[in-house]
Amino acid sequence: MNALQIVLLIIATVFPIMWLVRRKWGWTYARWAGLILAAIIMTLPFVWLFCAAFKDKTVLNEYMFLPSIDRLSPETVNLDNFIELFSAKQTVSGKVSFWRYFANSLFLASTTTFISMVFCSMGGYALAKYRFRGRHAILGFMLASLTIPGVVLLAPNFEIIYQLGWMDKYRALIVPGAASAFGIFLFRQALLNVPADLIEAGRIDGCSEFRIYLQLAMPLVRPMTGAFCLITFLAQWNSFLAPNIFLQSQEKLTLPVVLNQYIGEYAQQYGVFLAGTLVAIIPPAILFLALQREFISGLTSGAVKQ
Amino acid sequence: MSQVQTPQAVASGVLAAKPSAGARRYKFRKAITPYSFLLPYFLVTFVFFLYPLLYATILSFHMTSGPGVRRFVGLDNFAFVLADPDFHRALYNTAFFAVCSLLIQLPLSFGLAMLLNSGKSRLKGFFRLAIFAPNLVGQVFVAILFTMLFTPRYGLFNRIVHILTGFGLEQRWLTDPRWVMPAVVIAALWLYVGFNMIYFLAALQNVSRDLVEAAWIDGAGPWGVFWNVTRPAVTPVATFVVVVSSIGSFQLFELPYVLLQGYGPKNSGLTIVGYLYSNAFENGDLGTAAAVGWLLTLIILTISLIQIKLSGTMENDG
Amino acid sequence: MNFPYGQAPLAILILALIAGAVVGYDALLRQSGPQPDLVFATFVKEHADAYVPVIEQFEKDHDVRIQIQVVEQRALQSRLQAALQVGADVPDMVELMYDTLGVFTKGPIEEVRFVDLTKRVNDTGLIDNVVTSRFGKWTDRGHIFALPHDLHPVMLAYRRDLVEELGIDVDKLTTWDEFARVGREVATKDLNGDGVPDRYMINLPIQGGDALRLLLLQRGGQLFDEQGDIAFDDERTVEVFLWYLKQVQGQDRIAFDAGWGQNLARSMLDGLCLFYMCPDWRTRQFQMDVPQLEGKMALMPLPAWEEGGSRTSTWGGTGLAITEQCKDVELAWELAMHLYFNRKEQGRRFEQTQIISPLRSAWNEPSFDKPNPYFSDQRIGRMYADLAPQVPEEQSNAYMKMAVNRLSEAFANVSLYHREHGEVGLREYTEKEIKRVADRTREVMARNIFLQVDTGESDQEGGGS
Repeated sequence: MNALQIVLLIIATVFPIMWLVRRKWGWTYARWAGLILAAIIMTLPFVWLFCAAFKDKTVLNEYMFLPSIDRLSPETVNLDNFIELFSAKQTVSGKVSFWRYFANSLFLASTTTFISMVFCSMGGYALAKYRFRGRHAILGFMLASLTIPGVVLLAPNFEIIYQLGWMDKYRALIVPGAASAFGIFLFRQALLNVPADLIEAGRIDGCSEFRIYLQLAMPLVRPMTGAFCLITFLAQWNSFLAPNIFLQSQEKLTLPVVLNQYIGEYAQQYGVFLAGTLVAIIPPAILFLALQREFISGLTSGAVKQ
Repeated sequence: MSQVQTPQAVASGVLAAKPSAGARRYKFRKAITPYSFLLPYFLVTFVFFLYPLLYATILSFHMTSGPGVRRFVGLDNFAFVLADPDFHRALYNTAFFAVCSLLIQLPLSFGLAMLLNSGKSRLKGFFRLAIFAPNLVGQVFVAILFTMLFTPRYGLFNRIVHILTGFGLEQRWLTDPRWVMPAVVIAALWLYVGFNMIYFLAALQNVSRDLVEAAWIDGAGPWGVFWNVTRPAVTPVATFVVVVSSIGSFQLFELPYVLLQGYGPKNSGLTIVGYLYSNAFENGDLGTAAAVGWLLTLIILTISLIQIKLSGTMENDG
Repeated sequence: MNFPYGQAPLAILILALIAGAVVGYDALLRQSGPQPDLVFATFVKEHADAYVPVIEQFEKDHDVRIQIQVVEQRALQSRLQAALQVGADVPDMVELMYDTLGVFTKGPIEEVRFVDLTKRVNDTGLIDNVVTSRFGKWTDRGHIFALPHDLHPVMLAYRRDLVEELGIDVDKLTTWDEFARVGREVATKDLNGDGVPDRYMINLPIQGGDALRLLLLQRGGQLFDEQGDIAFDDERTVEVFLWYLKQVQGQDRIAFDAGWGQNLARSMLDGLCLFYMCPDWRTRQFQMDVPQLEGKMALMPLPAWEEGGSRTSTWGGTGLAITEQCKDVELAWELAMHLYFNRKEQGRRFEQTQIISPLRSAWNEPSFDKPNPYFSDQRIGRMYADLAPQVPEEQSNAYMKMAVNRLSEAFANVSLYHREHGEVGLREYTEKEIKRVADRTREVMARNIFLQVDTGESDQEGGGS
């Protein structure tokens, strides 16, 4: 028996005792125990990541987390990984600093998110609020298209991107994702709830159709907009395969691609990779914290409908 | 492509839009308006989806090599793939993964959502973030992270399993063919459990608090409350999540590919999309890859349709 | 602020604008000069670093501009393949990783999109000055498509201090059987008594992989013969499998799988394994990753399979190809000669990378005789160069990757059988399994109608787009 086993055993035995005393106590206890356990399991790799990023590369595997107090020294715990990460590297296109990659990722993720938010909500609005020929066919086609994995189209898409002269340009990544079937579907679901009377009232006031969409309908689906932004931003922020193939100049690369270069064939700088990952988590984490309420109620209004 | 497992919407019970009673004088304008709203989608889809799809379809009937070199081979690519033991292996692995995520991951997600939903607490936000956190880093990071966590002797995962059970310190998760898929499932579990939990959390917002209170007062007990109040409210979402995560499971690729630096010993981590990728980009055989793509699409369509059919009957019952 | 669509779109928009401004500003500062005369892509950052001074000199001498790009290996591979497929812009020169040439030579020989260098190699006498066997990796159906960057002989690196402490005389470890015996009797021990050995004789990957392949090559085995047919289903492969299996699993094992990177470094430092497979390119890695072991390491030739047999093998390799779209093939060739086959330059570069050039005359450069303090003052350049004549040849093939994968599949099955049934019927099973995967590969190869073109049976037509 070791300490960890004993602790788990104690946690497990407390439950029946509580439950016998009063059932409601038992359930409350189980709920908290379960949540805390789950949170520990889920965050443990992050704790490890955090510690490992600050450990010197020579002791990366030595301690489970951080060295014990008596072994704590600048030789075991230091900022070397971060210094290496943030130091501007000489490349073929001149010196490139880590912040440029960071800005690239931010720019790509936020631009794609914003553009696709506009286009997807427009498409969703059309499908939710108009009766027109081919409506069902379009919707059916969109749903069917979701089942086709992107890799199937990677090679032909390469040819198209090349023919358009978009190799090594950000538009090669922004435009293909500008209007996704999935996003249109989400917005359609949310926009179905917009009352027809409101739209009619707008028309009687002489608003153009686009103004009705922009000024009357869209403000009513704020939560969906928030949820959509979060989902799209996360997907774009972590996107790897497409940037890895379409971007070529070193200074244009995004964070996942650059960080992956630290785990190369010949030199593996895990410490630097981990430090970079730690930095890369910050923007999506802020976004999630800010948007989590809208995220959940957005999904309630969107994909998830009875 | 790298995506957080996004809900790829298939909920079918909601296809009918409400008719908006349009006035006649808007008729012409209205006839054009919806199409112009959809124009960006049409353009993007035509150039980056339909055309490549057509191209891939033509390729699937050809043997290819280099620009301009292709020979029509009819259904030979399909016949080869269907008879290829590697494809069977990939099919088995992918199905194994899909079943695991259905039977382990979704119930866990639901359980966590239940734990998180009841009661109000400031800590809720913290727990939500903690459980959702892996989605902030994405598949490639998770894969590299787990390569380190699964390291025999030194990896965190191995050490903790060893402390808890006394075994497994030198367990070779990523190099022992029998343990490769379980390792992938564990990594995916960690990554996706939080995302699906958010769906269930959203669904649980539909559960009427009054009904729950009433059921408690009637002495229904936790199981009774769950079965009579929660279950019916959550069923539509549950089917939605099942369909979505099945589609996601069948498109699994990047996670095992980076985790295993390939397909694992004995192809023990080969998935269908991995098989496709290796044909296209490692063997340079785009024709066969396109054929695999079509077979995969067929599989996913069939499974989705079956699940939607089943969910339809379930909804009628409820 | 009250934005009618919620905070999210506003925040995203602001973010997009700010990041866009930063990226745009940075790009503006970077306005590049005129188009380069040659673009050269490599997947090894260390190579690029080593080439920079040479290329700068070359640019001055020839009044040209050369651009080096470092691209991650898998990205380079898939990009190049897709680009060649559609005739898109590709670099003028590319460095390829071993085993990857095959991907580009699957079609008819005249459709390979690299410049055929056979004539140049013969005319310039390169074929006589370079270790000939190194062209094998870069040759398909008799045509040379790339130049070999390296020789990559393999030795064993070991913890000299611990080995001496144990009284092991490395000069007596002349055969693998003797090596295994010593490993079993002297080296592999459970020091703390927990039932798991904490010192092993050698680091070998449990699933075979590159180590198994290099042992097979040392044994005289081949994956493909010169005609491009599968050649690994013979007695040699069976022998190597059985020997290897015995070292990595079961009660008598003498090997531990220390993996890569930090784990490998850890195991070296701890003395968990005493011996490590060490091709030339790994010597510098060891020095970088585990600098603490300076003076405690040493190199020895591989034990032979039988007394007097070959004492080395080969692991890995890079080749330089010139693409068909190259803007100036003459210039590219000249640069390639300068980078790869300039004797003085190779001497200088050995100091930097410790990679042995396949150019024989380069080995006479003084840097090859310099004692290396990390490896206990051994003259490692000389030691590797002395083994050069024994470096086995390996043939490139369009199906190399597949054959390698099949072989490890067979090994995985065999080791599973060994775990479940032990020695009983192991040899028969191994023979059967190797035969099975060989036949499987043949079957797939037979599907390729383009490879049969050479025999003249099939008529050839360019179809499609």
